[in-house]
Amino acid sequence: MPLLEIKNLKLDFKQGDKMLRAVDGVSFSMEAGETVCLVGESGCGKSVTALSIARLVPTPPAIYPEGEILLNGSDVLKMGKKELRSIRGGIVSYIFQDPSASLNPVFRVGNQIKESLKLHRPQAATDDEVIRLLKLVGIPAPESRIRDYPHQMSGGMQQRVMIAMALASEPKLLVADEPTTALDVTIQAQIMELLLDLKKRLGMSILLITHNLGIVGDIADRLAVMYAGQIVEMAPANQMLKRPLHPYTRSLMGSVPKLGHELERLNAIPGNVPSIGFMPTGCRFHPRCPMAKSDCSQKVPELVQVEPGHWVRCPYWSES
Amino acid sequence: MWQYIAKRILHLIPLLFGVSLLTYMLMWMTPGSFYDNLKQNPQISPEKIKELEAKRHINEPFYVAYSYWLLNAVKGDLGYSLAYKMDASKLISTRLLNTFLLSFFATVLAWAIAIPMGIVAAVHKDSIADRALSSVAFMGLSIPEVLLALLALMLAASTGWFPVGGSQSPMYDLMEPGEKFWNRVHHLILPTLVLAASSLAGIMRYMRSNLLDTLRAEFVTTARAKGMAEGWVIYKHALRNAINPLLTIFGYSLAGLLSGAFIVENVMAWPGLGRLTIEAITSKDYELVVATVVMATALLVIGNFIADLLLAWSDPRIRLK
Ligand SMILES: Nc1ncnc2c1ncn2[C@@H]1O[C@H](COP(=O)(O)OP(=O)(O)O)[C@@H](O)[C@H]1O
Ligand code: SF4
Ligand SMILES: [Mg+2]
Repeated sequence: MPLLEIKNLKLDFKQGDKMLRAVDGVSFSMEAGETVCLVGESGCGKSVTALSIARLVPTPPAIYPEGEILLNGSDVLKMGKKELRSIRGGIVSYIFQDPSASLNPVFRVGNQIKESLKLHRPQAATDDEVIRLLKLVGIPAPESRIRDYPHQMSGGMQQRVMIAMALASEPKLLVADEPTTALDVTIQAQIMELLLDLKKRLGMSILLITHNLGIVGDIADRLAVMYAGQIVEMAPANQMLKRPLHPYTRSLMGSVPKLGHELERLNAIPGNVPSIGFMPTGCRFHPRCPMAKSDCSQKVPELVQVEPGHWVRCPYWSES
Repeated sequence: MWQYIAKRILHLIPLLFGVSLLTYMLMWMTPGSFYDNLKQNPQISPEKIKELEAKRHINEPFYVAYSYWLLNAVKGDLGYSLAYKMDASKLISTRLLNTFLLSFFATVLAWAIAIPMGIVAAVHKDSIADRALSSVAFMGLSIPEVLLALLALMLAASTGWFPVGGSQSPMYDLMEPGEKFWNRVHHLILPTLVLAASSLAGIMRYMRSNLLDTLRAEFVTTARAKGMAEGWVIYKHALRNAINPLLTIFGYSLAGLLSGAFIVENVMAWPGLGRLTIEAITSKDYELVVATVVMATALLVIGNFIADLLLAWSDPRIRLK
């Protein structure tokens, strides 16, 4: 049984009396210990997909019209409050993009970590355990940092605290939603290294979300590329990095930011991700696709397996 | 900390100096004085008036008169009320107690009701409870304080449940201690309710919008993602942050109320500082005007100071300097 199995997940946001589909039929699974990277530009639905795993998208405005999210075999979308609370942290933990906003500014970091312990491992809710966790994520002199408030730490240290807090409950799956995007370039590399190290040492699964294909090579076992609420390509990481098949993936790779040149990337793929509610007909990528054919604006492409384990949502994938 | 307090007190000195100078000047420049009224009183001899005028240096240049006043003020003597025939400081201190009682209970009451109301409205956004509370708040915001005070007086007069104005009965001095206490409380109830009602709506709406904003904050998602029960997420993580900006408002309202609840005090004949100020201005009791204004300024600043201390205590990101 896979640790996580998402089947045909659909998510709508209710706006007025319209339903705007943000996630449209996403399916993928993760084995225990596996690291999957979800890649795509901003607004493609990566965050809402990832948050759905612990039902963290507020409903309303969100609605799940279809789909299943099987976590350890049971469907998260059918769980009651109590069950949800036990899987949040208990099976899946999160770290987010902006650690300064994700930590509560009015509580000491040690307290915030201890909260996680109290919820899931009450017998271990001690200062010693907090210190051990801070050490685990590479915070120097942790004894002196547990009484710090978040604002007394640098962004990198705050993200390490977030990671410590996520690990405190000993989850099987760590969801890291753009964990380095808000940090300085040098710190970005350190946080990625830490995640890689933790993955090796603790053997947990990581779902890493990023819009930067440049950082996934070392850590990912598999890659899933999302565009406009759908997965457009999915394959083992080395396979996809060596030979991307979907035109969108290729465009993304052509626009991998060099270290410290984040801005250049923004102009790399012409056009914008369509907003929810304004999806192009046919292939959703066709207005921006450098290889678009005349029928791409009518024919809706399916996600098909073109090689073992390699899925692509473009009938013209072989023409490159 | 002590350094900070000392600094704030030092800042108060030039402010009070400026305010007293300005008020004194304004009272000096406006036509007419209390003595003009005295002069029309046949029972007071012109010599007596001359003597009074000389004592207050009223016929000397402005800066001389002000300097004398300032010199006394520094020694703690804020001048003399001609209308009440007593020291301004003494007069103010009795009035201050009344204002303090009224403001204190009104503030406590308003906050004790408005904060839970705002929380309920935010947590159950768009529910029937939220809509009901919002309409109550809207009504509260649209009724002027004066009207509310008048309505309260009308209620008191027609039902006889409450005394109509004042802070104690005429027979107060003849009462037993227990009776005295009840008499004061009885007089205090209606003005307190009016004053509390007038600030309730604003606080409630502010609390509601603050909490709604905070509930959208990322650290709230973090708290949920830990597996924390929704009640804890709201009452520990969100509320603790949502309350911070309100502490500033609390300080300001405290400051405003301490310096005199002008409308309620005047309409409901509550002998507080606000009413005293208005009386002093209309009767041209100029030293009393200056004294009350200086006092109100000092209280305003102290209220703000308390707000800053509260905020610093509640929000670790804020440092006093
Ligand atoms: N609470 C919400 N209400 C309405 N629309 C939302 C909400 N959250 C996200 N969306 C929309 O859903 C789409 C996907 O968002 P998101 O998952 O955050 O994208 P990504 O993480 O890939 O950048 C976006 O178009 C976004 O505007
Ligand atoms: S289906 Fe057409 S538009 Fe879509 S990615 Fe393939 S080539 Fe491009
Ligand atoms: Mg995102």
